[in-house]
Amino acid sequence: MRQSAAVELSGVSKQYGNATALDGIDLTVEAGSVFGMIGPNGAGKTTTMRLLLDIIRPTAGSIRVLGIDPMNGGAELRRRIGYLPGELRLEGRVTGRSLLEHYARISGPVGPGAIDALAERLGVQLDRAVRTLSKGNKQKLGLVQAFMHRPPLLVLDEPTSGLDPLVQREFLAMVREAREAGQTVFLSSHVLSEIQQVADAVAIVRSGRIVTVSSVEGLRETAVRRVRVGFADTTPEAVGARLAGIRNLSDLAVTGTATGTGTEVRATVSGDIDPFVKAIASFAIVDLAIEEPDLEESVLKLYGVGGES
Amino acid sequence: MSASVLPLFRRAIAESWRSTLGWTLGVAAALLLYLPLFPSIGGAGSQMGQLIANLPPQLVNALGYNDITSGAGYTESTFFGLLGFVLIVMAATSWSTAAIAGDEENGTLDLTLAHAVSRQQLVLERTLAVVVRLAWLALVSAVLVLALNSSARLDLTAGDVLDVTAAYLGLGLVSATLGLAVGALTGRRMYATAAAAGVAVLGYVLNAIGNQSPDLERLRDVSPYGWAFHHTPLATGADWGGLALLYGFSAVFVAIAVVALRKRDIGG
Repeated sequence: MRQSAAVELSGVSKQYGNATALDGIDLTVEAGSVFGMIGPNGAGKTTTMRLLLDIIRPTAGSIRVLGIDPMNGGAELRRRIGYLPGELRLEGRVTGRSLLEHYARISGPVGPGAIDALAERLGVQLDRAVRTLSKGNKQKLGLVQAFMHRPPLLVLDEPTSGLDPLVQREFLAMVREAREAGQTVFLSSHVLSEIQQVADAVAIVRSGRIVTVSSVEGLRETAVRRVRVGFADTTPEAVGARLAGIRNLSDLAVTGTATGTGTEVRATVSGDIDPFVKAIASFAIVDLAIEEPDLEESVLKLYGVGGES
Repeated sequence: MSASVLPLFRRAIAESWRSTLGWTLGVAAALLLYLPLFPSIGGAGSQMGQLIANLPPQLVNALGYNDITSGAGYTESTFFGLLGFVLIVMAATSWSTAAIAGDEENGTLDLTLAHAVSRQQLVLERTLAVVVRLAWLALVSAVLVLALNSSARLDLTAGDVLDVTAAYLGLGLVSATLGLAVGALTGRRMYATAAAAGVAVLGYVLNAIGNQSPDLERLRDVSPYGWAFHHTPLATGADWGGLALLYGFSAVFVAIAVVALRKRDIGG
């Protein structure tokens, strides 16, 4: 029944005059998965998402959304998509409820109570005029209108922007539930850390190109971690000899005295952390720090792309 | 909640009731201010008549005040051809440029078009919302003119009031639909405003120049203002050719708006 890809882009380019917003993007988002697009502002995330909704049209390449070209799919295709724009603008004297009811009239059928349930979950008041709401509360309304008709595909541009950490966590739970319900979620962020807990796969984008597509686990394997270990009752020589055989270790610095007090190791581990952990485990450890890797930076270094953002 | 008739039209109407009320009050105030004055200033031997007779004929022609001593001439040259004209053109400009270009510049058109509405549907429903509001203003004008008809001794027939109202509405529609078309073509409110207000001003100027001499008369045939009021419908009945031009061009502009918005990228 289900086509395997919810979103398929091949060779998609978008030019604005002489400026290239997208430069030959190939991308496949598997149905029922959570796919993240990561990159700084201007990398092409918003352009990609607007192409899927037929708000803009590609200069070259082909696009399939739920198996259909967005230019031919028309209103019926968009009924099956929930979209949150990157720069959400909501205006008017109307209340949030009235605005959401309007969007419900021009999208898929919305179940009874769905709007209230989502609003309560995200903690947004529906009876205040939209224009008096803070950016974060407008963002919540934007999320409600994207989720409320339970579309097969969710396209969310920077969904976490403006949300406080608690609401971000609630949002991530909603994304997981959507995946469990068989929905596909295509979302973007300027930082990987905000969505890495939910994304099955991510595309790292820079300047209109895809640097790499990988699972978050895959990124972790290429990740670079800085480590620091303090030892008791051992000498720098003994530790140095033990670590000498580990190939994915660099910037190794072993300090301490020959009498075995204050021995400390600082190093950088690329990828698999296991050999290093096994090696140090044979000593008595008094201190251990392994920093959370910046997966995105790791990728950019690996591919030799500048990490400006 | 899912299926509903004309959702964008209904929302446009609901959102704009304040401005509709404002323009309605403006039109009513203009009529209530001008028409009751006719018996005291508009009659043949009146002060106003004498004042006009002493004005340079070019100025009188430009203002269209030639026939100000009759009820029909007075109503047409003070309201339908002047203050009412300004009001309906301003309302048409503001509503039509907000409908597409303004929505796009606000960044709110994006999300609407990301839902299950086609661009054609959006243009047509919002055009309908503008037409209905302008028709309301025209209707209010007609009703008030008829209500004041006997007390102000204007001596108008209901049929002629209907005819001038149709021309008046048509003139508003030309500005409105051109504003919609240019908004759909460019997405820029400034261009749409310039076009909607510009065609009205240009039409008025061409008509005023055309009024100056028989040699220039042909200018009135290329002016929307001339199509509406050249043949003084309030005195002589409907000018079917003029009405056909007003409503025909409006229809063409709507078609252009539909095609233009379907073809291009939405800014955001």
